[in-house]
Amino acid sequence: MTALAIITALAPLTGLAAALAGARARAAGAIQAVGAAAALGCAIALLVRLDGHPPLSGLAGFLYVDPLSGFFLLTVTSVTLLAALGSVSYIAAQQDAGELSPFQVRLYFSFFSLFAALMLASLETGNLGLLFVLVEASTLASAALVGLEGRARSLEAAWKYVIISSLGVTIALAGTLYLFYSASALHPSSNLALTWPYLLAHASALAPQSLRLAFLLAVVGYGTKVGLAPMHTWLPDAHAEAPSPASAMLSAALLNTGMYAIIRFLAIAHARLGETYPRAVLLSFGFASIVIGALFMVRKGNFKRLFAYSSVEHMGIIAVALGFGGTLGLYGALLQVLNHALAKTVLFLSSGDVSLRYRTREAAKVSGLLPAVPLTGGVLLLGAFAVLGSPPFGVFLSELTIVRAGFAGGSPVFPLLLLALLGVAFFGFARTISGMVTGPPPRSDGAPALAEPYRDRASVVVTAVPLVLGLAALLVLGLWIPAGLDTVLRHSAAVIG
Amino acid sequence: MQSLSSSTTAGVLLDLSGALILLLAFACLASKLFNRYVAYYGAQSVVLAFAAGTSAVAFHSTELWVLAALTLAVKGVAIPLAARRVLVTRLKLKRDAAMSTGLSTSLVAGGGLTAFAYLVTRPALLPHGTVAAAVVPLSTAVILLGALTMVVRRHTVAQLIGWLIVENGVFLGAITLVATFPFIVEAGIFLDIVAGVLIMIVFVSGLTRELAQASAVELRELRG
Repeated sequence: MTALAIITALAPLTGLAAALAGARARAAGAIQAVGAAAALGCAIALLVRLDGHPPLSGLAGFLYVDPLSGFFLLTVTSVTLLAALGSVSYIAAQQDAGELSPFQVRLYFSFFSLFAALMLASLETGNLGLLFVLVEASTLASAALVGLEGRARSLEAAWKYVIISSLGVTIALAGTLYLFYSASALHPSSNLALTWPYLLAHASALAPQSLRLAFLLAVVGYGTKVGLAPMHTWLPDAHAEAPSPASAMLSAALLNTGMYAIIRFLAIAHARLGETYPRAVLLSFGFASIVIGALFMVRKGNFKRLFAYSSVEHMGIIAVALGFGGTLGLYGALLQVLNHALAKTVLFLSSGDVSLRYRTREAAKVSGLLPAVPLTGGVLLLGAFAVLGSPPFGVFLSELTIVRAGFAGGSPVFPLLLLALLGVAFFGFARTISGMVTGPPPRSDGAPALAEPYRDRASVVVTAVPLVLGLAALLVLGLWIPAGLDTVLRHSAAVIG
Repeated sequence: MQSLSSSTTAGVLLDLSGALILLLAFACLASKLFNRYVAYYGAQSVVLAFAAGTSAVAFHSTELWVLAALTLAVKGVAIPLAARRVLVTRLKLKRDAAMSTGLSTSLVAGGGLTAFAYLVTRPALLPHGTVAAAVVPLSTAVILLGALTMVVRRHTVAQLIGWLIVENGVFLGAITLVATFPFIVEAGIFLDIVAGVLIMIVFVSGLTRELAQASAVELRELRG
């Protein structure tokens, strides 16, 4: 079991090995995808083995996997697999177009695999200090991806990202210190005492004053990585400037890893402070994020920034759902994590194809996607509806659950406000996307002005695979939640309390 | 997780180091020369290493000794040296004029944040008479001052130093508040800082090349 958990985190490093061995873009991408698939397989195997067994704990508490971490492992490995598949032809096309040098391609796969491995490791550790170390390291690896293209814009985005996130995570470390301090009465002396299960089991002995401060600092600190407003300012820039598959990793994997850290703090805060205080903190940051995300989505502009603001909005929705609490709210929050991750991966990967073909990231310059590139246009349209919460896709189900949890929690003000803001977001997002997919394709001198970025037919097929897979998974999750996943979600919600 | 009494020699020394570290954070906030930023940060780290050494004596901890040595070598010597060679000298940085507020305003704000740090951490959180009660407000103030430096200074190098000061503040809190962080975690934190500084130096150099002046004032392309 321990070995299985370690392999899950190490498997994505195949990309690093391939890059170091000097593999070309396509080969490195394929090897990266194999590693990611292995990680996904291991994550599923872990979840199956955890069912009905006590959580896996080892290496003096540094390794700890319960259904909650298993669920996030499943989410992150799925995203990594889709993004790795998306990288294969995207990065090769970028190299063929002269945008990336062979050295940059090797850098891309090295940091991609490090990024994935560090995130998976941070989901598997039980030690709060090590969690900080791994989250900060994953920030650095992903910052390298954001600044990969080396132009002024991408370097600016990378700088903003690395400096704001590093500050945020350092604040989360201060929060971790206050959490340890609140445990002074327990006289913890070994490493084992500074782990989630120990602190959760002994929550009643924690000092409430410093625990309050610890929880607030953790939400602010790890919330910076999640992109909760007002700490979200790095997010649209980094998502817009990173290569598209890396944007998918940021939005669908990194933000969720930050959310996982907040959820662990939330579980301890629930156990000691009750519902009221964590609820107030999470609802404040959550609604601030939804408002910011929804308002900025109304503006037309760079379509990758649009998707990024949609991520801010969805992270806000997840925070609000965690704030609503109860089994229903927590279940909805976790389901939303998975659904949003899949939908956003599909959107960012299809945006990569769009920006390769139209050679722009401005929504106003893209039109006629559906007639010109039917598959990508269709996926973009369906993915947009999925992320906006239309039936029959998974996000609809999870948002419905969250709204129900809000009404079950008492005051109808918050769920009604949530519905209103979802409406604003729907309007803004759909307006931009409909402009992109409809209309005539751009033409110059009678010939289609679109680039054909891929070298051969196989690359086109490879580009389509993650799009179709992701969309299919979203559709399935909207119609039917597999019994196994349902069990995992219930057990995870029970961990949070 | 023992807590030192503030009246012991070690307690007094830690308290003194904390005050000195706060003073150096103020010095950094008030300075206008890149050379000085780096020098003040280096001096602050040396004092921090001394504080860690004091803690090591008080707690009889080998791990804290290693940490003190690492702090001295990495934060006190290596990072300031690298920052001076690679950034200040090579990029010909002298005076930092890019501030979003006046110097006096930022100093008043710094004073206010220090008072705030005392207000939040002092009353109920910490048991009286322990060294933690004396040092933790100081370290919280250092964290806030570092963050303030990052906000009022717009130059990327000044922001980098600001982050390192925040880091020092957290570390100061760590050695007094909980001297029992597992060593592997502390080592990992050091590794993160080194990797962070390296990658930030790459970005700053790249931005300087691209923009001729790596000032965040110029960083206006990405908005909204």
